[in-house]
Amino acid sequence: MAVAAIRIDDLAFRWRRGGPLCVRLAQLTLAAGRSLFLHGPSGAGKTTLLNLIGGVLLPERGSVELLGQPLAGLSAAGRDAFRADHLGFVFQQFNLIPYLSVRDNVLLPCRFSRRRAERAGDPAAAAARLLAALDLEPALAAVPAAELSVGQQQRVAAARALIGRPEILIADEPTSALDANRQAAFIDLLLDEARAAGSALVFVSHDQRLAGHFDATLELVAAGAAA
Amino acid sequence: MSALLRLALASAWNRRLSLGLTLAAVLLASTLLLSVERVRQAARDGFAQSVAGTDLVVGARSSPVQLVLYAIFHLGEASGGIDWASYRRVAADPAVAWSVPLALGDSHRGYAVLGTTADYFAHYRHADRRLLRFAAGGAFAGIFETVLGAEVADRLGYRVGDQIALSHGDAGLPGLAHDDKPFTVVGILAPTGTPVDRTVHVGLAALEAIHLGWVGGAPLPGLAIAPELVGKFDLAPKRITAFLLGLHQRAEVFRVQRRINEFRDEPLQAVLPGVALDQLWQSVGLAERALQAVSWLVLAVGLAGLAAAMLAGLNERRRELAILRSVGAGPRHILFLLALESFVVSFAGALAGLGLVSLLAATAGDRLAAFGLAALPLAPRAGEWQLLAAVLVCGLLVSLLPAWRAYRLSLADGLIPRL
Repeated sequence: MAVAAIRIDDLAFRWRRGGPLCVRLAQLTLAAGRSLFLHGPSGAGKTTLLNLIGGVLLPERGSVELLGQPLAGLSAAGRDAFRADHLGFVFQQFNLIPYLSVRDNVLLPCRFSRRRAERAGDPAAAAARLLAALDLEPALAAVPAAELSVGQQQRVAAARALIGRPEILIADEPTSALDANRQAAFIDLLLDEARAAGSALVFVSHDQRLAGHFDATLELVAAGAAA
Repeated sequence: MSALLRLALASAWNRRLSLGLTLAAVLLASTLLLSVERVRQAARDGFAQSVAGTDLVVGARSSPVQLVLYAIFHLGEASGGIDWASYRRVAADPAVAWSVPLALGDSHRGYAVLGTTADYFAHYRHADRRLLRFAAGGAFAGIFETVLGAEVADRLGYRVGDQIALSHGDAGLPGLAHDDKPFTVVGILAPTGTPVDRTVHVGLAALEAIHLGWVGGAPLPGLAIAPELVGKFDLAPKRITAFLLGLHQRAEVFRVQRRINEFRDEPLQAVLPGVALDQLWQSVGLAERALQAVSWLVLAVGLAGLAAAMLAGLNERRRELAILRSVGAGPRHILFLLALESFVVSFAGALAGLGLVSLLAATAGDRLAAFGLAALPLAPRAGEWQLLAAVLVCGLLVSLLPAWRAYRLSLADGLIPRL
């Protein structure tokens, strides 16, 4: 069996030693190239879970394994490099560095990760292709990110997350700033491109109506209730 | 790393207004600090060279500092005069190469009038042992002729050929003018950055002439003597304030000093001007240190402004830093980014400050002469390099504060800033 993109076992995390449990997750496995819809009420620790998957936080107990690599086995700098090489992120909003052009925003991961740059082939061409695939006009590439509409910004963020075909894509409520029509269109675009890149996708939202777009669904329950 | 530098540059350019203002604050602070240092050094050098080439200053017995202060800087109170005969006898000492008598007491519109001889222009030396130079005209020869210092001529708008009237004393009392005997300006000296610039020079005989018919510091009523008639009186000087001595051999200076201090006819004292000037400088050293303290405070304010601007900007940049973390930047990159930025700002501010000081020294040197300063040195001195290094070290330490805060924030925020 191929190595899972994400494999989480018996995970527990709290912000302060002795404080309340913040995240608790018995089991999560996401095969390569598959998509997962992760939902739960606010306060269930969705954001914290993403920080754990991103390697920014380490769990108190349990393990997070990405592509067969336990994150606890890496140094902090190693986790930063791993994140740059293998993960792409799309956030709720304010995804872009406002003073960089659209193109430079998309190319950002290639600047921090040689692997991403190599997998992109010609990064500039890959950026142009992704922007076109995400319905952004070529003329926008040179425009400062701050001048784009929210919908456009989210698509640029998707292009940035996808460049260099990272194995894992994390989208944290990327559609909550969009209206209903655009939500569905954005999710379809994201799924298509993730499939094309061969990336596994974790899509986090509190809006359960979106669950139908994805291969699997996981509900994150508030840790306090589960414990 | 180069990606990070390019980002730092783009990010700084995006915040160029606030960074520019911060840079200006650091620039002005270091300019102040450096120029205070440079002016201080120049003032000290200029001061120490107010009388160069003079081996001894001789006057009535008082404190050495008081004598130099009055005889050279025309400040404070006269310590009582000395007899002309005493001067002649000391000047006749075989060790003495030259002597210049000085008689003070009158003034012209706030400027001291110095009675002396034409030897003054041949022997008085200032910075770097330079002789006095005439910007216009020449030394006085006739009785009612005067040579003006550069500042006197400049401020009062006098030119060669103009007529001026002297006042008795420091001109505090009306009616004590010597306006019955006007003087003609025959020479104007080039600026020296010494008290000479603020002095009206006349011959000793002229001082006798304008006081003919005066008793006890006031004119005798009904005894006005017309200028044409003064030649009929004995104009030989009777008392002078002090005199300058130059020796054949510098090594003789202590022996001659002792001979003068033991002079029998009258209590005299001979002072080595350099020693007295050093003592004087130490007494004004307090002001100098206060000035330095103030400029350090200004620098502290500038650097605190830098830290404050960086810290205030940090909240706006939290999202930006979180994005950088999501694409693979570690907290140490964030630390580096912030520290680099504030260090570059303080570094650039300090260097630009040095440049501005040099520019000021190059362009405003002439104006500074008006403050009694000789031209400022263009090149920084050793003391300034130390100050610059201190500014940079302080800048680096200050830059660590916002950097550390950003580091903590990016650890706490992770990928999603909780705003």
